[in-house]
Amino acid sequence: MRQRKHLNSFIRNTDDSRDSYTLIDFIEGIPLPFQTHNQKVVTVLGANGTMGRNVSAIFASFGECIVFMVCRDMEKANEAKELAIQSIRCESIGKNLFPGTYENLDSYIKRSNIVFESVSEDFQIKKNVYQKIKPFLKDDAIIATGTSGLSIKELSEIFDKHKNRFFGIHMFNPPYNLTLCELVTHSDEQRETAIQLKDYLQTKLNRTVVEVKDEPSFLGNRIGFFFIGEAMKLAEKYQDQGGIDYIDSILGCFTGRNMSPLVTADFVGLDVTKSIVDYIYENVLDEYRDSFAAPDYLNQLVMENKLGRKVNKGFYFKDRDRQLNFVYDIKQNNYRLMNNYQFYFANEMIKLFKNGQYEKGINLLIDDESQEATLCKKMLLSYIVYSLKISSEVSTDIASCDDAMATGFSWIPPIALIELLGGKEKTKYLINKYLDARYQHIINDKDFYKCIPEHSKYDFRPFLKAKY
Amino acid sequence: MEKVYILGGAQTDFQRNWSKEGKSVIAMLRENIFDAMKDINLTREDIIQLNKDNKIAIFVGNFIAENYLDQGHLGALLTEVDSCFYGVPSARYEAACASGSVAIDAACSKIRDHTYDIALVIGFEMMKTVNSKVGGSFLGKAAFYELEAKDIDFPFPKLFARLADETIKKYNLDEERYMKALSRISYINYSNAKRNPQAQTRGWYMDKKQTLTRNTGTNPIIGGRLALTDCSQVTDGAATIVLCSKDYKEKYYQNTKKPIIKGFGHRVAPMIFGEKMKESKDNEYILPWTRQACMDAYQRASLTVEDIDVFETHDCFTSSEYAAISCFGITDPGKEYEAIENGTIAIDGNKPINPSGGLIGCGHPVGASGVRMMLDIYKQVTDTAGRYQIKDARNAMMLNIGGSATTNYVFIVGKEES
Repeated sequence: MRQRKHLNSFIRNTDDSRDSYTLIDFIEGIPLPFQTHNQKVVTVLGANGTMGRNVSAIFASFGECIVFMVCRDMEKANEAKELAIQSIRCESIGKNLFPGTYENLDSYIKRSNIVFESVSEDFQIKKNVYQKIKPFLKDDAIIATGTSGLSIKELSEIFDKHKNRFFGIHMFNPPYNLTLCELVTHSDEQRETAIQLKDYLQTKLNRTVVEVKDEPSFLGNRIGFFFIGEAMKLAEKYQDQGGIDYIDSILGCFTGRNMSPLVTADFVGLDVTKSIVDYIYENVLDEYRDSFAAPDYLNQLVMENKLGRKVNKGFYFKDRDRQLNFVYDIKQNNYRLMNNYQFYFANEMIKLFKNGQYEKGINLLIDDESQEATLCKKMLLSYIVYSLKISSEVSTDIASCDDAMATGFSWIPPIALIELLGGKEKTKYLINKYLDARYQHIINDKDFYKCIPEHSKYDFRPFLKAKY
Repeated sequence: MEKVYILGGAQTDFQRNWSKEGKSVIAMLRENIFDAMKDINLTREDIIQLNKDNKIAIFVGNFIAENYLDQGHLGALLTEVDSCFYGVPSARYEAACASGSVAIDAACSKIRDHTYDIALVIGFEMMKTVNSKVGGSFLGKAAFYELEAKDIDFPFPKLFARLADETIKKYNLDEERYMKALSRISYINYSNAKRNPQAQTRGWYMDKKQTLTRNTGTNPIIGGRLALTDCSQVTDGAATIVLCSKDYKEKYYQNTKKPIIKGFGHRVAPMIFGEKMKESKDNEYILPWTRQACMDAYQRASLTVEDIDVFETHDCFTSSEYAAISCFGITDPGKEYEAIENGTIAIDGNKPINPSGGLIGCGHPVGASGVRMMLDIYKQVTDTAGRYQIKDARNAMMLNIGGSATTNYVFIVGKEES
């Protein structure tokens, strides 16, 4: 009789869309949903975090999964559920979201087809959570970590028989808008499962999936933070010209992005930025490593808890009362009003892009030899070469860098940028003209050059904003 | 009727927000027109040459750029897009949300009477320059403003909610059943849009329950009984199609099959919604002039509903698509819910409506919608609609309406019978 009562409470509000209801085993005291035969059950660990709750919403909506949102306490869990609903702007997914705590972990895990871990980026914390869930895992459960940096291989070692069912599933925030999903494997034995999982993520969860190797920071962040890292270095080098806002003005939205790179770092959080670049710097020993060396001013700002937009103080801060924008001046070591930089090449490009004259705009940049235009060109060209290089090393498909940058960062994808610049030949010429040997030898490698696609599946036009 | 061929065309990605990109209407027109020209291998030089012989003209459909963009004289505006349009006869045509269709109709006339060989028809609207409330008041000018829109927030959702009320009353429908039918219309349009790579909502999440649950935080009531999921989108977009004469087709495209416009209907109902209802009180159709426009098109094409494989309709609101079902002749008037409930209008049904996603799923840049619909039915009958292709579509029909079903425009496009 008691089961009957629960059945009624769950069946209310459902439409003709559900043909059959199966009761999954009932445990005293925990509200459990009813699962149709093809409906997956997912447990999200650390669902109170931003990624945890937003990923819960993706599973509950596109995936139509039943999702246990496991948080430290019920209050946090209920709050997370509400925010998850808001992230999709669709109340109807509420029926699939079940807030919970670690207290009932065993009963959630026992029922789960997928366990998605999104707890703190700390090896020991993750390991402890894995130990807790290990005894209760279904034989065919998939376990995934949302880590953006840690080694999947090392994390997988905690599992015995589930080792090959452990993957990295790295999404970008907010996942409803940014569809990139990096699927990370650690062993060739995972091949078959990886193919099925990739198909599920693509067709069911509406993700843009790129398969990547277990390399530091995978693909999207590796490329994105290469660009941000280079921009941070340039800001330091050109601190006499203004530093941060100077470089951001050179690499503004008109260069194919919604936010300039140092605003992006501020938005992501300077602590997060630091931990990503530090991690890559420590773990990658190639000749591009210096791009990831955190500049002193970044370390200092993080130490002073100036962590970016989330605390309204970082590279930038906004005086909301007076409606004034300030920027951190590296040279003066304090905040000053942002400069309103006006560069001829940027102004002209913006004017041309405003009217849809993309070819003219990019040719203007190519022909302008001012210090700022040259810096801009160098950054765009090194972004292309580095993206292609990393994509060919880390991913199964060299064109993955376009998926990663378009759907993870909303930046102009590298191959689309090649098309904008006038094609492969022209781009190669420009690389040889403006970049040093580290980049030249990559693009001049005949086999590598041949592998670069002529066309991107992305249209470059929407990425080029007509503004700084 | 002299044959008018459709050579091809293009639409912009309706997901884009051109104001956010910082781009002007010139950018939108430039991208769209040159994409369309590329689609049919027409160059700038071709246009200059054609214009030397005075054989090309441009027809622009737009509702209300004067408000959204502070810009009028929209035929002439194209000279700002490219100098190849200098000297080309070009003018703007307006009939509210049916502006695209009236531009198509004007182009057809000038081709049929041999004035021009080829015509570019461009529909566009940039609507995200203002917030939705201000935009709603601009759109109110498609009604009888003084009486139906002045000082009223979101006048059009309210007018189409009245159509919903009147439909229930006229056919004595079960209210819940009717509202479920509207929800299903919304859900079908959102689902179809996922297949369309140019649709505004292709990445959005939508499920049946959300369309069924009105008056919630994420599905608020917009007007009367209509909630957010019953409404089409505020969209930036442009669509271009290229039409030509038989001679031109045979001269330059003799080896490719191109569809023809087989029939059209154009009827204007009383502008004031109350008058519409008064007039149709004793008619079996709630929108008799919409029905008449469909009948005119069938008659001109010598076709019946049996011959039509796919429809694109004007689902500015779910209640307008509902009424269109019987106007097309898919069901008897008053029985529209049957075609919704039994899957007839679904993408895999017998008479699929809006495989593109329609105005709810694909988007509704008002002046572009008529042209976008014709581009979509062109794609259907040329088997180029990709993932939203209806198999073996030979003939397709579109209904584009302006105001509260005031201007009614219908076209039938189909394969040329061999």
